[in-house]
Amino acid sequence: MRTSRRRRLEERVFKVLMLASTVIVTASLLVIVATVVVKSLPALRLSMLVQTPKGGYYLGKEGGILNAITGSLYLASGATLLAVLLSLPVVLYINLYARKKSVLATFTRFSLDVLWGIPSIVFGAFGFIVMMTLGLRASLLAGIITVGLLEIPIMARAMDEVIRLVPASLTEASSSLGATKLETALKVVVRQALPGILTAVLIAFGRGIGDAASVLFTAGFTDSLPRSLFQPAATLPLAIFFQLGTPFPEVQERAYASAAVLTLIILAISLGSRALIKRFTRHSIK
Amino acid sequence: MRKSIISLMISFLLFFPLFGQAPAKPVQGSVSISGAWALYPMVLKWVEEFKKIHPGVKIDVQAGGAGKGMSDVLAGMADLGMVSRDVNPDEVKKGAFPIAVTKDAVVATVSARNPFLSEILKKGVSRARFIDLWVSGKDTSWGAILGSREAAAVHVFTRSDACGAAETWAAFLGKKQEDLAGVGVYGDPGLAEAVRRDPLAIGYNNINFAYDAKTLKPVGGIAIVPIDLDGSGAVEENERVYATRDDITAAIAKNVYPSPPARDLYLVAKGKPANAAALELVRWILTDGQKFVPETGYIGLSPEKLKEGLARLK
Amino acid sequence: MRRLKDLIARRAMLVLAAVPGLLVFLMLFGLLSRSKAILALKSFTGLLFGSAWHPLKGEFGFLPFLAGTLWVTLVAMVIAVPVSLLTAVYLSEYAPRVIREFTKPVVDLLAGIPSVVYGVWGVLMVVPFVGNVLAPLFGVYSSGYSVLSGGIVLAIMVFPTIIHVALEVFSAVPHELRETSLSLGATTWETVKHVVLRKGLQGIIAAVVLGVSRAFGETMAVLMVVGNVARLPKSVFDPAYPLPALIANNYGEMMSVPRYDSALMFAALVLLLVVLVFNLGARLILVRIERKVE
Repeated sequence: MRTSRRRRLEERVFKVLMLASTVIVTASLLVIVATVVVKSLPALRLSMLVQTPKGGYYLGKEGGILNAITGSLYLASGATLLAVLLSLPVVLYINLYARKKSVLATFTRFSLDVLWGIPSIVFGAFGFIVMMTLGLRASLLAGIITVGLLEIPIMARAMDEVIRLVPASLTEASSSLGATKLETALKVVVRQALPGILTAVLIAFGRGIGDAASVLFTAGFTDSLPRSLFQPAATLPLAIFFQLGTPFPEVQERAYASAAVLTLIILAISLGSRALIKRFTRHSIK
Repeated sequence: MRKSIISLMISFLLFFPLFGQAPAKPVQGSVSISGAWALYPMVLKWVEEFKKIHPGVKIDVQAGGAGKGMSDVLAGMADLGMVSRDVNPDEVKKGAFPIAVTKDAVVATVSARNPFLSEILKKGVSRARFIDLWVSGKDTSWGAILGSREAAAVHVFTRSDACGAAETWAAFLGKKQEDLAGVGVYGDPGLAEAVRRDPLAIGYNNINFAYDAKTLKPVGGIAIVPIDLDGSGAVEENERVYATRDDITAAIAKNVYPSPPARDLYLVAKGKPANAAALELVRWILTDGQKFVPETGYIGLSPEKLKEGLARLK
Repeated sequence: MRRLKDLIARRAMLVLAAVPGLLVFLMLFGLLSRSKAILALKSFTGLLFGSAWHPLKGEFGFLPFLAGTLWVTLVAMVIAVPVSLLTAVYLSEYAPRVIREFTKPVVDLLAGIPSVVYGVWGVLMVVPFVGNVLAPLFGVYSSGYSVLSGGIVLAIMVFPTIIHVALEVFSAVPHELRETSLSLGATTWETVKHVVLRKGLQGIIAAVVLGVSRAFGETMAVLMVVGNVARLPKSVFDPAYPLPALIANNYGEMMSVPRYDSALMFAALVLLLVVLVFNLGARLILVRIERKVE
């Protein structure tokens, strides 16, 4: 029957397209990671990870990117902490406390959507305004605030996704046992959604540590390890930029190595989070 | 008794470590410097040498571009800014206090695989033709530039990020960076790479990016375009100064290579440097520091300019 | 005591829930106040639709940048939407479990790669590819630094976003519906077409909206490959200058040139407004579809 053949042809065509698409997506990742790793091999050395840049590092002499590694870790950790403190209560509130169609909940969700879509450079510009208003210099603190704000929508959205999925029956059961909303929230919902919440935190951390535009004006850069909140701090994305911007091929190779380090940190966190989730899923009710 | 004499002698010797030089009182404090990549290698060298004499000073040097250096200094976020272009009158109004500390230059570059390379090297390109390329923005052909029949188009590149190199090249052409035509690439190495890849490309680079720091010859894949200074249509002996980095720096020092695109590089403070350590650093740069300039690939300033700078610091 | 804790927590959370909205408002207000200088010079529409950009001459026309942003985002979506949706459908409906378990982490890892790395890779591979392979194929010259390069890099960055949401949408479609369709004689593909996609239309649109947001918001990676020429692009092989790139390239000049810093803050403000308007529009469309479904 002609119709049947057409249907099958259509299916076959689309199957090919689908396979091609999947291959494109997977291949992109492999190609990108492979390129960075290959270009970074000449410069990957332990000294890169454990030393700060000595004088002349950007001219090809010794040193490493410890300043950027620690700076980025401090900054992203601080920012993520800030974001958790501001996101988790909000998401819990709009899911458990507010009524379904409450104006505040809708407005908050909408604001989070808007914030999610704002380019990171705008966060950087806003962070710069905040810095000038508060009289802060380019510093670790300014970077933490800016990146923290950037992370809020990312974290909140991911948390919202999982907390929404907590079955109403659980929360109802908890209230019927006499628990206050707070106790339900903390002891039941959070525990149930913990894997998802942790994933949300780690996703936000990954975005925060990898973003250059938000720290461009706010965190400054330095060759030393972070000493105080009010001093500039080096970050890996900016270190990559600066090393790429030198005329020396050896230093440019180091830029790739720094990129490899950054990517590895993020991948390690991503994989680590999966392991953590598997562990915590034991306590969740399916 | 002998012990105290010996310890006295030792402390005396320690206090005058540099035999034959006027003893410098060790300065304490911290200095933060931020700004142009063009000055970065030189300032790093200076800082390294300065710290040998004044180990108690903490100096933090960050490179983020000339514009950032200026912004940071005017905003009070850095003590000294490394600025690789002339200071605007608006910036002076906001308190910018520039001191010229050394010189370098921007050169025009083409790919080593340019099909017309031998002609380019023989004839050079005049300033008027450079203006055709970078200012009028019309689609020019290599023939129009070299005075021949070649129809191949010239692919013009410039810098996308606000930077000293672009401002200086633009100043040579009588314009500002925003007036430059061409595809904008981020960063000096980016621009060099774009030119290297495209046989028909033309761009410009800081000499520290155009010449290899070790071999002192042009970086692999790049050729330097001679500027036809007198418009004669040929590169004469006195215009042939591009073979090695030493050749071009000598030409700049002799003013054979024009300024712009050679330029003074400045350290800028907000008003006279209030930070004692910063003030001492700049003073040292203008005196003893100058001897480290040629080996780092830069050009020394004339004694008059140095004296002028020192006088302004008082 | 427990009730008191609950009450305090409730009040605290209520206050915090206002934070996102407050933040948007603060950003709007902050950027607007910093843009006052340039708005005094020219009207809002004058700035938006002016086509000349010569800050030192006092000409601040943002049209080339708006066009640049639009072009790059459009190209990115044209590439990303079909590829992502097809991949999501494949993973959800067709792929054997092994492939699905392997590919899903790969997609998530793609989301984790920092934007600087994408930019670096883009300059290494995408720019030469567009300049030396694609452009000659179409008989045009391109330096490689172009809308297309920006679009390709952005598309890859957007894949994980759309795929992730689409997968969730598809998994929410009840199995019974699929089984019913199949038992009526439909092929898997027809089931997908008529059941899964239709049921998940709302979610798919939400996924695409999210993808657009993500593409729109990317700064660094695009900056490195797009050519940064302040002119309206005439083809995908032309360079373009998206708004985020304008801000990132020139922030260092902010204090030096009068009104330049105000102009850059204005650029940031425009970006914020576009995101707001876009989200409003998307929300309205989604609400309308939701009503139709009900």
